[in-house]
Amino acid sequence: MELEVKEFTDTSGNFVLNKTRPVLANALRRTLISDIPRMAIEEVEFHLGPIRGEDGKEYESITPLFDEMIAQRMGLIPIPTNLELFGFREECKACKGEGCPNCTIMYALNKKGPCTVYSGDLEPVGDPTLKVADEKIPIVKLDDGQAVLIYATAILGTGKEHAKWQSAHGVGYKFNPSISVNNKKWDGDETCIEVCPSDVFKVVKGKIVVKDEEACIYCMLCEESCGEGCVTVEKDTSKILFQFETDGALSSKETLTRALKLLEDNFSEVSSMAAKLK
Amino acid sequence: MIIPVRCFTCGKVVASAWEEFQRKSEAGEDPKQVLDSLGLKRYCCRRMILSNVDLIDEVMPYG
Repeated sequence: MELEVKEFTDTSGNFVLNKTRPVLANALRRTLISDIPRMAIEEVEFHLGPIRGEDGKEYESITPLFDEMIAQRMGLIPIPTNLELFGFREECKACKGEGCPNCTIMYALNKKGPCTVYSGDLEPVGDPTLKVADEKIPIVKLDDGQAVLIYATAILGTGKEHAKWQSAHGVGYKFNPSISVNNKKWDGDETCIEVCPSDVFKVVKGKIVVKDEEACIYCMLCEESCGEGCVTVEKDTSKILFQFETDGALSSKETLTRALKLLEDNFSEVSSMAAKLK
Repeated sequence: MIIPVRCFTCGKVVASAWEEFQRKSEAGEDPKQVLDSLGLKRYCCRRMILSNVDLIDEVMPYG
């Protein structure tokens, strides 16, 4: 299997797998979705009862959304993840699952209405570099006299357990399209290539030419409308176009390298087990 | 009620795009172009923004 990078930004990856098989691409897709650890808020503690403001005004710990709704929304906020510094809480040697700076991040949220509470209002307890990168996610709105005082704990998890720990989003692949045109069988009517929703073809000097082969989405409308034998669309399953996105918790490059490493580790574990069989 | 944090289908964070979308589309910009500029290319994410009605202001006094 060969990997040819087409475009990598901080939050999206686009690459080609050459000399591969669909099973390998699917294994990579499933690993990207469900096996890469990342941080997400897991425990949320609400202060109940009156909250006194700095000006001496008394606020009620009341919000238009239910507390569990707010907790759910906070869980979905992307938390910056450094996999070198943090480990799983249940495997943490320093605290044995109690929760410590090696496995948990604490956030405090203290807001008084009227206002909109944003993800940027989450203040990390301790290290200020752990502030949420996407600051414009509305969590809840507060009216006059309403306030929230929340302590939240983020821990490491994987997408297998809950979608909030899913690292890669919009993960998908398609087989490389291979489109051939037999112009001898074309009747000269351009409407038959205009049906293409991805604009794959163009006409040059009275001949159909493939302009952008990779844009093909296999709708097969061209094959149908151009008549038999004129346009042939085939899938090359040994070349796979792959794409995915991340939400900023992990970079796309780190997500992919982690996924490939995980796959390698899992397969070598299975093969070493198989070698022990009689 | 309030814009969902993530797209129900693919999981992309869409909530941070809501306020900009609302401001720009109310100012008369083409919603299609605003969605494109916000990087919402899949139709699952686009419908999250397009079909949202912010009702939280109506229920706020009853909190």
